[in-house]
Amino acid sequence: MHKVLIVAKREYLAAVKSKAFILTMTMMPLLMVGGLILEKVMRNRSDVSVKRIAVIDRSGEIFDTLNIAAQQRNANDIFEELSDPAGSDADADDATGSETAEKKAPRQIAPTYVLERVEPAEDRTTQLFELSNRVRKGELFAFIDIGPNVLDTGNNASSGDSATKDGATKDGATKDGATGGGVEDGGVEDGGVEEDATAAVRYFSNTPTYRNIRRWLRVPLTSAIHAWRFREAGLDPSTVQWALKSTQVDNLELLRRDETSGEIVKAEKISDVTSFIIPMIMMMMLFAVIMTGAAPLIQSVLEEKTQRIAEVLLAMVTPFQWMLGKLLGSVAVSLTIVTVYFIGGAIFADRHDALQMVPFHLIGWFAAYQVIAVLMFGSIFIGIGAACSDHREAQSAVMPVMILIVIPMMVWPNVIREPSSTFALALSLFPPTTPMLMLVRQSVPPGIPLWQPILGLILSLLTTILFIFAASRVFRVGILMQGKGAGFKDMLRWVLKG
Amino acid sequence: MYAVELDNVTKRYGQQLAVDDLSLRVPTGSVYGFIGPNGSGKSTTLRMIMRIIYPNTGDIRVLGGALVGAGQNADRVGYLPEERGLYKIMRVNEILRFFAELKGCSVSSKDIQDWLDRMQLSDCGNKKIDALSKGMAQKIQFIGAVIGNPELIILDEPFTGLDPVNANLLRDIILELQRDGATIILSTHDMSVAEKMCDGIFMIFKGKKVLDGSLNEIQATYGDDTVRVRIDTNGTPIGAAPSDGVQMDGMQVDCVQIDGVPGVASVSDFGQYQELRIEQKADTQDVLANLMKLGRVRHFELARPSLHDIFIRIAGPEGAEAQEKSMGSGSRGSGSMGSDSTDDAGDLQEVSRA
Repeated sequence: MHKVLIVAKREYLAAVKSKAFILTMTMMPLLMVGGLILEKVMRNRSDVSVKRIAVIDRSGEIFDTLNIAAQQRNANDIFEELSDPAGSDADADDATGSETAEKKAPRQIAPTYVLERVEPAEDRTTQLFELSNRVRKGELFAFIDIGPNVLDTGNNASSGDSATKDGATKDGATKDGATGGGVEDGGVEDGGVEEDATAAVRYFSNTPTYRNIRRWLRVPLTSAIHAWRFREAGLDPSTVQWALKSTQVDNLELLRRDETSGEIVKAEKISDVTSFIIPMIMMMMLFAVIMTGAAPLIQSVLEEKTQRIAEVLLAMVTPFQWMLGKLLGSVAVSLTIVTVYFIGGAIFADRHDALQMVPFHLIGWFAAYQVIAVLMFGSIFIGIGAACSDHREAQSAVMPVMILIVIPMMVWPNVIREPSSTFALALSLFPPTTPMLMLVRQSVPPGIPLWQPILGLILSLLTTILFIFAASRVFRVGILMQGKGAGFKDMLRWVLKG
Repeated sequence: MYAVELDNVTKRYGQQLAVDDLSLRVPTGSVYGFIGPNGSGKSTTLRMIMRIIYPNTGDIRVLGGALVGAGQNADRVGYLPEERGLYKIMRVNEILRFFAELKGCSVSSKDIQDWLDRMQLSDCGNKKIDALSKGMAQKIQFIGAVIGNPELIILDEPFTGLDPVNANLLRDIILELQRDGATIILSTHDMSVAEKMCDGIFMIFKGKKVLDGSLNEIQATYGDDTVRVRIDTNGTPIGAAPSDGVQMDGMQVDCVQIDGVPGVASVSDFGQYQELRIEQKADTQDVLANLMKLGRVRHFELARPSLHDIFIRIAGPEGAEAQEKSMGSGSRGSGSMGSDSTDDAGDLQEVSRA
């Protein structure tokens, strides 16, 4: 065992000193910090320009409502929300009160929309062309052409079509409380096309990918149309809004009885983060651990084989001691990665008041699955490395194993949605996919019956022992073999006959 | 006492017979040379002694016991394989400590530095292996084999790739290790190394033992049938064989033919002198008289055959042919010659066992 530990120590040190490991370890914190910095930088570089938008209101009923909505937006919705009330510091120092107030002035983070009324002209196409030229010159950012029959879309089948042309389905529109009032992206070059133009609201710009204005327009536009229709129908808009108010469906866990007090414990709300994102993160971490802990074993064994280090080592250790040392070294590497990531993640979560979301109760299971996964796939990779003669051969041979590793990545959304389904249970009891998928199922509240992870663990442990046994037989034959690599039949023969 | 004992060891790679019924005793404290042509089974034998691969039949005992995998006996053996191998990204100090720890030795930094000093690699301790020259890496590999003072040191082609200065350095250290009590087994293609360094010599050819004993014993076995001569021929070149001739001033010039001299069985031409093998019933005085007819004989020495000559006699084309013909016949010296053997498999297709 002493020699196994010496080999493991060397493997561990060689791995943690490698550039790949250092890169892996620094990537996540770098991405996290980089993301935060980028967010900060992007926030400071917000678009705060004035976007002038011409509006041709051929219905004669919409512009005023739109203009008021734009002014309200410019007054209230384009500034950064302050976390502290401005008045809290003002009392502290009256002398610098005005200066503090100036400092605390809300910072603009979005552009100002200025609407310009344009009276409809007789020659619609020429008017649209002239406005297009103003956009090209930069006088306008965009212009909107509101059709004369836009208020009447409820009775006009073609207008319903126009409402869905920019991708908003009727269902989607209903969700927003909007029927009609869809904004069609006309584009500057489309000015001459007049199909359904009488019932549509058409948005023309030279920046078709800028969707913010169109997105903003929907609400005031729809509100204005609704208000007009309610008036026409003799309905009170506030009554209608009350009647159509949507109902929220909360996602809660089951109620349970407290074992000590005997009282029924109130059900807690389940967030998407705990039910969806946490299981996904757990699985991704395990995937990363396998890829960084076990996968490099192929290269490591190939190096020892092609660089003729194998014979030197075999004079001092048995093939099994050597292989076991390599596997233990990889387990240690993976534990290091997980420990650092976990601590880093916990600190990050704590800073963002999300520590309660970290599934501490699954740490033990995670560690167990991690060790088994690294041993299981590591032994396969060692066997492949020993049987192959070069990297190209190894790449081909490793493909089937990679598919096994990737299966959980393909099915996890289904497993999270229905963690108790037969499909999820069967796959999570299939040893190569047990570590990742069983962990996913355990992470989804309220968890799964205890016998399932225990059975999964036992099955994957037995499989791991089998894989290590098989790999050791392939390893001891293949590691000294030079020239052509072994085929699948050769490996099978070595495993069966020893 | 023997450091290594092999009894009727046979090793096959598939259908190929690499080592054939080999028995051998290596005395403790000796320097034992393994010689033989490429692919004759030297490295296979050494690997079997190290238990890197296992024989199909026969017994091997090392340092008094079976060398089972990497058991205790293995820690008392140092091994320098023919194919050198070191982790390229490791530093010299690290890799030497790693090797020592694998042998169960605790070595201090001073021990490592002492070895580096001894091998004239004082400044290399913190260098990575891939920053070393081939010769330097070979010396590091040698230190890795002998660090921890093993009782048995097996060196497969230790001088290959070393310049004369480093080869001398290595030779001196090997002999020092022997004086300190270690048993050394070294395989070599350099016959002069084997002659000068080895207390005993073992030659394997086509998997079979063909020579085994001290140099004296081997030479004695091959008899006093060798004469070393130097003849002054007034500028006419000497040819070993009748067909020889040389170009002199752009013209083909006949040589003074020694090979055709009555009583001379064969000639090895070393340039400055020629080594003649005398026919069994020939009288050396008659040979001398015949040689004097070719020119002035400056040197005439009755000698024992060199190891090189013996090697060529066994493994050269004539020797191999003779063996084919005398398959199953008696042996010369303590070794035996046979022909039902095979080449060492170039590609190792067999395994070590845990």
